[in-house]
This record gives sequence, structure tokens and C-alpha cells, in this order.
Amino acid sequence: MTTSKATSSKRLGDDAIPKLSKELCSRLLTDLERAKRPVLYATKCSLDNARYNQKVGFLTPGPKKVATELNVSSVKKMSRAIFVLEVLLRNLETGAVNTKRELYYISKGEIKHNPMLKPLDFADQNESDDIIDFICEMLECYREELNCYANDRGGQTYSQQLVVTETLPDGDKAVVDLSKLGTTPFQPKNRPQNLKLSARKPIDFCLIVESEGTANTLVANGFTKRHNSILMGAQGVPSNAVRGWCKLIQDQLKVPLYFFGDLDAYTMQNIFRTLKAGSAASLIRNSDYSAPDVHFLGVLPEDIKKYDLSDYPVRENDAQEVRALKKAQDALKNDPFFHDKRNKGLSQILKWLLENKRRCEQQAYFTVDPRDPTMPEKIIVDKIKRGNFV
Amino acid sequence: MAKTPSSKITTSSTAEYFSKNLQQVGFSSQTKAVLTTLKEAVDNALDACEEGGILPEVAVFIEKVGAGSIKNSDQIRVRVEDNGPGIDADDIPKVFGEYLASSKFGRGRCSRGQQGIGISAATTWAQLTSASGARVISKTANMRKAISCVVEVDIKNNRGLMKERETIDWDRPHGTSVEFIVDGRIQLNGDAGLLNYLNGTALVNPHLTLHYKLPDLELHTIERVSKEIPEIPDATEPHPHTMKLGEFIAHSHLFGRVKTAVWLKKGFSRVHDGVLEELVKGGVKRNLLEKSVDSLVEGEFKDLFVAIQNMKLMAPSTRSVLSIGEESLAKSIKRLGAVDFFSVVSRKPTICDFKPVQVEVAVARLEERSMEPDAQVQVLRFANRVPLQFDKAACAIVHAIESVHWRTYGLVQPKGAIPQGPYIIAVSVVSPFIKFKNASKETVDASEELVEEIRRALIQAGQRLSKHLRRETKANELEEKLRHIEQFCPILVEGLCRITKAPETRKKRAEDGLIKILGRDTHMAKKELAEAHAVLEAQQEAETQAKQLVMDLQN
Repeated sequence: MTTSKATSSKRLGDDAIPKLSKELCSRLLTDLERAKRPVLYATKCSLDNARYNQKVGFLTPGPKKVATELNVSSVKKMSRAIFVLEVLLRNLETGAVNTKRELYYISKGEIKHNPMLKPLDFADQNESDDIIDFICEMLECYREELNCYANDRGGQTYSQQLVVTETLPDGDKAVVDLSKLGTTPFQPKNRPQNLKLSARKPIDFCLIVESEGTANTLVANGFTKRHNSILMGAQGVPSNAVRGWCKLIQDQLKVPLYFFGDLDAYTMQNIFRTLKAGSAASLIRNSDYSAPDVHFLGVLPEDIKKYDLSDYPVRENDAQEVRALKKAQDALKNDPFFHDKRNKGLSQILKWLLENKRRCEQQAYFTVDPRDPTMPEKIIVDKIKRGNFV
Repeated sequence: MAKTPSSKITTSSTAEYFSKNLQQVGFSSQTKAVLTTLKEAVDNALDACEEGGILPEVAVFIEKVGAGSIKNSDQIRVRVEDNGPGIDADDIPKVFGEYLASSKFGRGRCSRGQQGIGISAATTWAQLTSASGARVISKTANMRKAISCVVEVDIKNNRGLMKERETIDWDRPHGTSVEFIVDGRIQLNGDAGLLNYLNGTALVNPHLTLHYKLPDLELHTIERVSKEIPEIPDATEPHPHTMKLGEFIAHSHLFGRVKTAVWLKKGFSRVHDGVLEELVKGGVKRNLLEKSVDSLVEGEFKDLFVAIQNMKLMAPSTRSVLSIGEESLAKSIKRLGAVDFFSVVSRKPTICDFKPVQVEVAVARLEERSMEPDAQVQVLRFANRVPLQFDKAACAIVHAIESVHWRTYGLVQPKGAIPQGPYIIAVSVVSPFIKFKNASKETVDASEELVEEIRRALIQAGQRLSKHLRRETKANELEEKLRHIEQFCPILVEGLCRITKAPETRKKRAEDGLIKILGRDTHMAKKELAEAHAVLEAQQEAETQAKQLVMDLQN
């Protein structure tokens, strides 16, 4: 089995996963032949096994493993894992790709055509998703490396300077010049690692906006025409595609990245932290799916006073935010990311949110001068120039 | 204040009061009217049989005879026949036609009826809605022929009137038949249904043989499962701490010219010479105790009452309560339908709110599972062996059921609510002085002490039940494990072989190995099942031994 990698440079080769899988299955079979209980080890993907590595800037897996020993209770899970692994290996062999939803239905189809497999049937997609995650944690590989992708989501990107070269599965290359797309966005792919980036002119910065709608507004109002930049809409919690895309921009173009989103505990922990350092649930793939250089541009607590922004107290019926605030308390105590002194500015924002229990949305910049549609752009650019970010 | 002309102030008879307020005694709706009529007649039949030392055999006939006089009602005939001792001719109009003319009023015994209101109210309802009273046939052992008559209530004077009296031949040595024709509607099923009442009555009266013929149903018989007539304990005198000053003074009037000391000793429980000495030490004048009780003035009564209230007295005796008994209850619960298993608990008589009380509980799981999965368990409530079918939410029994954590015992229960599933929880509260919330005796008042006592009984029953459920869970687990082995072994091995392209020989070896591994697991499960089974058997053994010991002691 491979060990987890601290950097993105070394990933599994194309034939590594089938080889690893066969080794694993052979070991299981040998154990069974000897009437010895086989044990499967998977990396524990939770906060208590997350380490924040200052040097690399993202959460990496600790030494903890989850051992699944074959017994009457686990035989179903193991049988399901081997069944799904077989489907995934077939995909890898033929080059076919599928979404998780499609894999759920492929599994159902297999079971439909072979009544002996009936006991493996998944009642809903969550069950098959869990098995796919279990396989990834066992093989320490990305879901994308098993040709299993999420639906493309978020990451609409605009730029007058960026040129993307995509290597297609058949070896051909496709070149996309974003300046030729007009107001049509470029959508990053599930495996952004296959893309090569270049710039027609030097790019000053990349702005990632939490709300895709606000990103579209900024572009429509001429943001990318006036500034040599890349502008991207994250659409909430960043998908793997968005996370990998940011990482690619950071590594290949070496431009500063800024995140602009709401000032609340949910955005700080679930959106920004995931973008910057990955998440505890994705410890294995944080190396290729986090952009540690990204800065939090706003909304900052001091912006509320400075720009006289409309903020409001967290409502008791806002379940998501109330939960996020509770989680924030725990994060300040236990999350190695917020513990790290380099992220002190971010943990101070969390503390401020906990103390004040207020939130301010990114769209509040439109209140500053309601008749000037470019006012949010002016504030953003001004903040970047003055270094007013965390 | 203006003076009211004295001519406008009138007094009404008790009968007049109740005839205008029948809703207070269970005639508040058409369906309740039928149920209450039946209930009063059956209660009287059972009380009479027990008083006479006769194993009761009661027959109930209910049928529609036409349209009722009240809008949207039917005219319904309710007839209840018993093999009780019968009623003397002179007493028939008193029993069925006079309010508060009871042999049971305030005497401190565990009879179903307590005041003598119910059956007269049924006669009044029949009289008001169908213009005819109760048709009664009764025969005592001393009579050669039976008396047949119609009893009506003389509402103005609270007297029973006997009409159409005749002597007839009756094919039984003794017994009573009472028939009412009333307006109402028949509800067979549900909490307030007639079937619930009849089944409940059978449950808490194991010695009863009940025949019933209801509309749209065949004649049905529930045979008795016990041949023991419950021995009704002697009445106890009231405990002074349960009385109010007015009651205290009224109680003295029953004794006439006796010394106060004698009245106190004979008229109350737990008052003896020692208590009287304490009273004197506490400041009550000795000559007050020597005075005749009918010569005491209000102030003297008050002084005496306050002094007694401030004294510590022994709690009243619990000998006056009547129990069904675990064994009889266990036999009886099987009459409710096919039961998987059950647990019964008969608590020792105890004192709640200064009144002797005995709580008995039966919890059973039904084999019938056709009910909706999240339907509440069937709760059967009994007070002095009479089913309670209305105003469930306010009842002490329901409060106690809700307060128990049934999940601990393996039942499904939404937080703080009645548990769910195919179970029956039957709770019987027996006491010579049950505190009801209303005159129609539909709900037991939820005092803290009583709720706690019921709760303890329920917890004990839950603990016993959980041993059955635990064994069942273990058996299910074993079955599940065996099923798992059969299902998943071939799938897992075949999957592994396909991926590794292993030959058939490896496949065979792996299958054998897997069966060995999982066989060890099932061995463990079998062991756990055997342990759970042993725990249950030990419990049953202990219960049998305890019963044997009690029987030996009794002999």
C-alpha cells in the first residue's frame, strides 16, 4: 500500500490502482484460505487524525488507521467493497468514467441482472458513496483516480489573460483562450491536474468569490476588463473541481489568490478553510485539493465599521449558522488549522464571530453606494492594494 | 344586598339534580350513554355476585331496535343478565330507581360501585329518552318464582316506582336481568368501544364467564380462567388524616350518644388509647373525650380535629384492598388474544395519599402485528376492576406509563410519550377510596404518590419483559448471522477470485476458510442466546418458587 503524500508531485501511476487492488484482494484471499480473519486498514479521515503541516499549509493524515476485521457484522461491508471495486477496476481498464450517482445505478443494474448479488443491494446512494469513500481510504487514492467524479459544480472562471491547455484522453490537446469566451465562463474539470495554464499577459491576482452570482455581476460590470485578473465563483462549499483548480492556479501561475465571501462561521470553516487547507474528511486528497496561499480578503470584521456595512445578529432559527458557531468553539480548541499561529488572524475572526454572534454578507458591499454598481469592485481592489486581508 | 323573596327559593331532589346533569355521570354523548348504561349494569352484576360469594356468569345483549327520539340516534336495547343472588322485591325499586340508595356508599370497600348513582342514572336516561324505565327480572334462592317489573325514577321525590309487577317462571335458581331501552349510538371498536370495555372487564375479572351478543357480531363467550371468588376484604374505618372538618363532624352523627373517646376509637382507623393519651398531652382536655359526642359544639369538634391533624398517626392499614393476583392476571391476559409473552406484577398494597392502594400491571406482546408500526400500545386502565375509557391524558395511569423509559426494556418510545408497538399495557388500581377526577369515574386523579407507585409497578413489569425481549433479540441476531454467512460468503469469495483471477481450487479453500471464521462468530452468538435463555429461565424458576412459598405459607 502507498503512504500518504505531503506534496502533490508524486501521485499514483495509471496502473498503480489495479495493481494495488489485486494485491489487496490476493492478500484477503490468502488469509481466507488459511481460515485467518483478514483485516482491511483504511486511513482515518477525521479531525482527530488531522495534522496541520505548516510547511505545506494543508491538513495531512496522521498515523491512525481504521481496521476492519472480517466478521459476521463486517462481511456485508467487505463484500460490497469488493463488488464496487470490481466495477471501478473495469472502468479503469476501459477508460470509462462515472459520477457517484451513475455508479449507484450501475451497481443496482449489476444486482438486477445477477439475483445472487441481491443481498448487496444499496437502499440509497449514501450507502454506495460510503463504500466508494471506504475504497479510496483503503487504497489511499483520490476518487477521481478511480474515474469516479462528482457532478461539475461551481468554479465558473473569467479572465482576459488566462489560456488553458487540456490534454484529452486520446492525447490530443485543446487550447482554450478565456479572453475569447466573452461573458461565457470557463468551467474547471473534475481532474484539473490534466490542465496546463499560461498567461497572455501578466496576471496580477486571482479573486475567488463565494457567490457565483456576485462573481457574474462583477464580470458583467467590467471587472476583468479593468484588471488583469482571474475571477472565479466558488458556489458555496468548494467542490473537488474548484479546490483542484485553485491549487493549479496557485502552483502554475504563482499569482496571489484572494477569497471574498460572507463574514460568518460557516464560510470561515466550511468554505474558506476547505479551500485553503482542505478538510478532515478529505485528508488523503488535500495535497492536490487545497491552495494554502489563498488569503481571506473579506468581509472582515473591521470592514463593517469602516464601510458602514449592514450586518445582523445570527438568528436562532438559522440552523446552519447556529451549528457552525457551535462547531467554531470546538474548532478553536481542537482544529490544528486554527491553532496554528500562522492562521492567528483567521482564528481571531472566528473568536469575533463567537463573541458578537453577528454576520455580514458579501453583498453588503452594495450598500456602500447603492447607485454605483462598481463600488464593490472598488473596495475589493482597494483592499488588495492596501494589503487589507488576512 | 337585596332580599330575595323566599317563595323563589326551592329545593330539588337528588334525582332531579342528576336528571338534569346526566352528563356528569357518563351520559355526555350518545356513544357514552350506551357504554355507561352497560357498564353500570355489569358493575352491579359483578358486585352482587361477589357479595353473594357466587362465581359470576354474565350475559350481555345489545341490539338496535329502531330510530331514537334524539336526532341522529338509534333506539338501543341493553340487557344484562347475571347469576347473582337476586334482589328482594322490596329492594328492586331502591336499587334501580333511587339515587344514593346504596349498600356501598362510603363504606370503604373495594367494590366497583361506590355511591349508588350509576344504575339509577341509567334508568333515568332510559326514562328520559324512551319513556320507559328499567325492565327488571329478579329471583333470589328463597323465591319459587321470579319477579318481573318495570322500575322508574320518581324524579321529584327521588324514589323508585315499581310498575307492571308480576311473578313469572324463570329457568334459573337465582339471578337478575335488567333491560334498558335507551337512545344512543353503538361504538364497537377503539378506546371508547364496547369491545374494549368487555375485554377489559374479562381481563381483570379472571373468575368471570362473559357471554356477549353485539350488533353485527356472533354470540361470543369468554370462559373464566379462575374458579376462585375474590375474597373482598372487610371495610376499614376512615383514617382521620383523610378527612375535612365537615366530614369529621358528619361522621360523628352516625354514632349518636357515645363517648367521644369511644367514637374516635371505633369510628376511625389507627386511633387507639395511646393516641388519645397523646391528644391529652398535646392539650386536649380529658373531659372533652369523656363527653358524649352528640353534645359537642362546633368549636370543640374543631379543637379536636386540629389536634388530631397535627399528630403523627400510623398510615392506614392496607388489608382492605383487593388484588387480582399475578397468577390470575397471567391466565386472564391470554384471553385478550394470542400473546407472544407477557409479564405481570402485583405490587404489595401500600399507602398513597393516606389511602390504601394496590397496583397491578400486566404487559403483553400480541402475536397479531397487523397494526401500523408507529401505533401506540394499547393501554387498558382499571380502577377497582372497572375499565376506564375516557379522558386518558389526565389519568394517573397514563402519566405513569409516559414517565417510564420503555426503551431500556426494548420497546419503541417517542420521548416522554406512550410507547409504540404490538403491546398491551394493563394497569389496575384497587383501593377502597379511589380519587376520581369526576363523578362519572373516568379518570384517576394523578397525585404524585400514586403516579410513582404505578410507575414502580410498570418498571418491574418492564424489567421482566426485557428478559424475554433480550432473548428474542439474541435469537434474531443468531438468525441474522447465519443468514449473513449464507448470503455473503459466496459473493465475497467470488468477487475476490474474479479480481485476482484465482483458480477454482483457491476459491474452494477460501470458501471453507470463511465458513470456519464466521462459524466461530455464530458459536459466540449461540452462547449469548443460551445465556439470555438461562437468565429468563432463572427468572421464571424464581417466580415459581416464590409462588410455591406463598402457597405453602397459606396452607
